[in-house]
Amino acid sequence: MYRFAAVARHNAVLFAREPGPAIGRIVMPLVFVSLLRPLYQAAQGRAAGTTQAVAGTLVLFSLLGMSLVGWAIVTERGWRTLDRLRATPARTIELVAGKAVPVIVLLLAQQAVLIGYAVAVLGLRPANYAMLALAVLGWAVALLGMGSAIGALARSHSELSLVVDTGSVVLGGLAGAMVPLSTMPGWARAAAPASPGYWAMQSISGALDGDTGTALRAIGVLLAIGIAAGAIAAARIARGWRRGHPL
Amino acid sequence: MLVAEGLVKRYGETTALTGFDLTVAPGEIVGLIGHNGAGKTTFVEVVAGLVRPDAGRVTVAGLPPGRAARRRLGVAPQDIALYHSATVRQNLRLFGALAGLRGRALSTSIDEVAEALDLTGLLDRAVGVLSGGQQRRTQAATALLHRPAVLLLDEPTAGADPTTRRALLEVVRQRAADGTAICYTTHYLPELEDLGATIAVARNGRVVARGDRDTLLAGLPGEVLVEFRDGPPQRIATTDPAATLADVLATGRTPVAVDIRRPDLDALYAALEVS
Repeated sequence: MYRFAAVARHNAVLFAREPGPAIGRIVMPLVFVSLLRPLYQAAQGRAAGTTQAVAGTLVLFSLLGMSLVGWAIVTERGWRTLDRLRATPARTIELVAGKAVPVIVLLLAQQAVLIGYAVAVLGLRPANYAMLALAVLGWAVALLGMGSAIGALARSHSELSLVVDTGSVVLGGLAGAMVPLSTMPGWARAAAPASPGYWAMQSISGALDGDTGTALRAIGVLLAIGIAAGAIAAARIARGWRRGHPL
Repeated sequence: MLVAEGLVKRYGETTALTGFDLTVAPGEIVGLIGHNGAGKTTFVEVVAGLVRPDAGRVTVAGLPPGRAARRRLGVAPQDIALYHSATVRQNLRLFGALAGLRGRALSTSIDEVAEALDLTGLLDRAVGVLSGGQQRRTQAATALLHRPAVLLLDEPTAGADPTTRRALLEVVRQRAADGTAICYTTHYLPELEDLGATIAVARNGRVVARGDRDTLLAGLPGEVLVEFRDGPPQRIATTDPAATLADVLATGRTPVAVDIRRPDLDALYAALEVS
């Protein structure tokens, strides 16, 4: 347990020493949702417009938040510290969990700040807070898994940025995070379930609107995505990176 | 102690280890030398548990690779592997804690190792702003904190300045005197002479020669350098300096200076190149 705690504390220190990206990922959605909410309200009405603005902004910017996870892994590969950690007596689970906890906290904080702001300032009234918390947690697990997989497979920081930035906009757009799904063309609506962001929108909108069945089903899909992506990342990280490998 | 027997490791069509045998007894320093690609670093990775061998076995303090073995092992990899945005102290705290140290024992150990490696004044500075030699010392410190029974130091002085080199060699000598089994890979052969290390020569993935310095150098040519008043100096490779000098004198020329050089580890390297 103390090894897990040591890794978690150390990774929290690493984030704290370079807080810029995390602060940016938390502040930007607040600006975005404040500016765009009137547009959504004009198009969809007061309540539905606020829900769309908050859920969409949350999904889009938390997808971009995957870069925090991936960047941390790619950076450690560059520093060669992952192999150095594997040479210590720590169990793999202690290393993985210790690294995951600060990241999960960060991803949750990003979402919690946005939702808190929407409730306090924008008048959002979630129908089911417990379900909303579950939805946010399920989405954070999916983001952690996907971010880890991208970080483990990317060959450079540049490639990571390309995949996360472009992928976030594509997956967020396909999920209906920027434009309501109902206004998108048929082919986009048919392809939407292929985007993890779609299930995040379903779970969060379901929780905000009180549609428990939809929210639970979507949370199940998000957890499955997180576990599958996490397994890919773990398998790649366990193989290590030989000397001379890119990074 | 460290025991490796018949280690084989293949990467695709490349065989990095081809039957690597090496033992290091408690208190012994074994200097592992060999050209790039000889298998030194792969051997270190196998012992550290980072790479699984295709054949052969390795034990650390009698234990097969695994968590229990890693508790008794200190590893300083060839490449700097530190958190650059964290301070020296934060790096040492992490690796010390992962090695099993806690509380006062961890703090005391950090202070002792920092003192020995001249890092005390750098403890609260970020690793990323340190010089290469300071980073090299920090890296070595992460391996020493828990006083492991076996130390694997993979080119610990590569690119280091003389101060760093002296500090590291002194710590290595002290740890060996305390009973630690030390495997020390290097290209700097004089370091091994300074340490009085047993020398193991790796070539093509296996150890091809092992012994103390004098045993390994026996039969290798030294040099006789003769300077004359009336002509250029002569540099003659020889295994019998007395006979060579007699031959020079028999020519009737009068030397003004004679320098007899015994074979050194560079000569051993050169001999391996030829063979």
